[in-house]
Amino acid sequence: MRKRPLALYSAISIPFLVLIVFLIYPVLRVLIEGLLLNTGLSVSEVLESPVTQRAFVFSLYQAFLSTMLSVILGLSGAILLTRLRFRGKTLVRSLLIVPFVLPPIVVVVGFIRMFGSFGIIDSIAMVLTGSTETLIDLASGIPGIVLAHAFYNVPLVMLMVSSSLERLDPDIEESAELLGASSLQKFRRITLPHILPSLLASSLLTFIFCFMSFPIVLTLGEGRYKTLEVQIYDAFRSFDFTKASTVGILQVLVTMGLAFAYVRANRRQNVGTGPTRSIKTKSFSQLNPITRVLAILYFIILCTLVVGPIASILQSAVYDPVTATYTLDGFTNLLRIGTGGGFVPLINSVLYAILATILAVILGIPLAYSRRSKGKVLPSFTSMLVLLPLGISSITVAYGLMIAIAVPLGLTTNPWPIIVIAQTIIGLPFSAKSIEVSLDKIDNAILENADILGVSRTQRLMFVELPLLMPGIIVGAVFAFAMAIGEMSATLFIALPQNFTLAVAIYQNLIVRKFVEAGAASLVLVAICIISFLIIEHLSEESIGGAV
Amino acid sequence: MADYPTRRNPRLILGVIITTIVILVAAIAVVNTPANVTLRVYTYDSFLVWGDDPDTIDQRVFGPFERAHGVNVEIVRLPTDASGIVSRLAAESSNPVADVVIGIDNILVLEDIIATVLEPYTPTNLSLIDSQLVNTLDSEHYVVPFDFGLVTLIYSKNTINTTTHPQLENLTLSALADPELAGVLVTEDPHFSSPGLSFLLAEIAMSEKLLGQDWDEWWIDVNDYIDVQPGWSEAWSKWYEDPTRHLMVSYGTDPAYSSYITGAEPDTVAAPFYHNGVDYAWMQVEGIGLVKNNPNPDLAKLFIEYCLSPAVQSYISLNQWMFPANMDVELDPVFDYALHPDDVELLNDLLLGPEIKANKTSWLNQWDIIRTG
Repeated sequence: MRKRPLALYSAISIPFLVLIVFLIYPVLRVLIEGLLLNTGLSVSEVLESPVTQRAFVFSLYQAFLSTMLSVILGLSGAILLTRLRFRGKTLVRSLLIVPFVLPPIVVVVGFIRMFGSFGIIDSIAMVLTGSTETLIDLASGIPGIVLAHAFYNVPLVMLMVSSSLERLDPDIEESAELLGASSLQKFRRITLPHILPSLLASSLLTFIFCFMSFPIVLTLGEGRYKTLEVQIYDAFRSFDFTKASTVGILQVLVTMGLAFAYVRANRRQNVGTGPTRSIKTKSFSQLNPITRVLAILYFIILCTLVVGPIASILQSAVYDPVTATYTLDGFTNLLRIGTGGGFVPLINSVLYAILATILAVILGIPLAYSRRSKGKVLPSFTSMLVLLPLGISSITVAYGLMIAIAVPLGLTTNPWPIIVIAQTIIGLPFSAKSIEVSLDKIDNAILENADILGVSRTQRLMFVELPLLMPGIIVGAVFAFAMAIGEMSATLFIALPQNFTLAVAIYQNLIVRKFVEAGAASLVLVAICIISFLIIEHLSEESIGGAV
Repeated sequence: MADYPTRRNPRLILGVIITTIVILVAAIAVVNTPANVTLRVYTYDSFLVWGDDPDTIDQRVFGPFERAHGVNVEIVRLPTDASGIVSRLAAESSNPVADVVIGIDNILVLEDIIATVLEPYTPTNLSLIDSQLVNTLDSEHYVVPFDFGLVTLIYSKNTINTTTHPQLENLTLSALADPELAGVLVTEDPHFSSPGLSFLLAEIAMSEKLLGQDWDEWWIDVNDYIDVQPGWSEAWSKWYEDPTRHLMVSYGTDPAYSSYITGAEPDTVAAPFYHNGVDYAWMQVEGIGLVKNNPNPDLAKLFIEYCLSPAVQSYISLNQWMFPANMDVELDPVFDYALHPDDVELLNDLLLGPEIKANKTSWLNQWDIIRTG
């Protein structure tokens, strides 16, 4: 390694500064002030309370079940998606991003229509059995919570695992076949070790997301099931800041403990990825009959779980349940300026999310470099820091940004920069991770050649490294965009009406029972994301000429 | 970044990125220009939105005040309820931007934090409001009554009625504990919903003060049968759409709303608690108050007084579906169908502020222990 110039170090320190100022400082301030204020119960009373303990156990329990289901369905989905050759694969891939952008409150409504009593599944079961009583209610209690979590996370596991599986070298598989390995042996000895890092990473993310789940548990839990995040939200609402801090610290200890274990495990078994290869694929007709049946079965399950709720949300965009008529009022509302009009939220959503995405990518590049740097401390520290935005209670972050940044700076009356920052931070883990994956694939020989040819450092970065990083930047941008545009907790707490995003507008519309407006806004949100995904994908193909 | 050419000056690329950011920031700044506001009023998301024309309601109700004083009033409907608004006021307390807050009710006002975010103010026209109502809300006048309503059970005659369930006529707490009725009841989580909390307090008052039994027994009895939703909207959706949930904890004005919407006899019926020949209900009083250290105190005080006058109060019934605090205001005939305060004994009189303040946390904790058990 050559001596690093000052400029490089400053570039690397910028994202750290951003995270310290806009995440660590506000959160620490809220947590510490909460402990010092001594509202209501003491720290030990909160920890000893059966209510806290049940929330703790339940958070772990449902996160475990949700992760199991998401991994089982996501892994099989990823294998099918990569192995099977079919038309419209790119489209399927882009559609997988859709669940990310849907605010949980909309998903809950879609879920109740699909899986609830007298929902679509239940109605089919009732017709089949000729029953007039409700038979199946999968949209409440633990089944509802776990299924809704799977809805969000199966696509996540599928996307992450399939992108790693696609790089599996077909030569290795052929050699194994020649040596007489069975399918199971091939999976255990070749496929699994290859995808293990991405499988671990996606399981960890899924677990953390579900562990900290809030609106889904609040709505489907019927007051019987509450996660730690629900308790934190409750504590803030009842001004019990000591309880909010205590539970918040308990929660972050678990999430960061998991992140730490993951970072260590990942460092040890760093599987070297070779030059870019593409996995062997098969068309549907080449599959054996059992595999075909399984594939069809899987397709039906996935459609029911993921497509079903989305379809029922989309139907609600044009169908008014109160008057039982079809209408386009929801869409005209999106063009309306003024109280309750959807135009400003629509524009805000797009502009905030684009800005947050650009920032997340700009900040993600130095983070990726610092994770790949030599030494032990900096990469591990960076990895932990990057996971931090996902592991801290979002209501605590929102409250912290409010008291530590917005109020002192006088941004309270128009807090849009704070919202963009919150959206940037939530997208950062994804942009940094994707760029890092690309960075791993860069052949060092190319960089050395560039050095030998005597290009300047800026030229090397601009002409050699960034083009090679493009695939990672693009995937990262897609995720960051989806996270930003779907962000709700922080926006909900911080925004004034002129800052509302579509996610907040949807929530508002549902509260006052404007289902058509909420449905139309959801549909547009989904459409924006698919379009932006396709645009980004198109741009990437042009710019990198199929180098992915 | 329209396309990525083989060679391009790095400065150009950087320039494009920076220009994009600048344009984005400028565009957001334009779209998000805050209105030229002189008076900022924080309230909850559903404030005055249940009328015929919610889009112009602010103009109609507050326009005269704006013209009379040459000011610009912004009604800021925050995407939360009154508790969330108080959280926000607490977060902003070092540098307040709101002048007035509407929606803090007679339970929320008991919180200690109220004294750090609000300033007591006695409007000069407070005599327009019945003094009993003023005291039910807050005798210290951190907030004064804006509107009020009775929290009670409602049902739809189409799905359940006194013929199918005669016990609805005089609904006792023990009748409601029966799985047949508890199994069709949907209520709101008292942690997250003010009608939910009002219902919990109503049940506590009924049990402890009238029936002489422990309040938690009823919740233990019904725990496996009732449905608890986080808020009023979710509970309403369940009650409206789920054919198995016929009874809901809501407001006594719902029959009036039902009649207004259908233009006929109401389908919705209020079922207050019954004990020894008397009907009971909990009264929720929502108040308006002055934000502590607000930027425009004089104007804010005038605004509060304006809000108690008929100019605002006459809009409450048909846009908010609560009773106006100013009882001189004439009500639409559909309000004949509503459950009136005169129809019932108020449970608030049995469970007073100091007792609620002293026990609320432990009651909610006990409720959680039963519910999550």
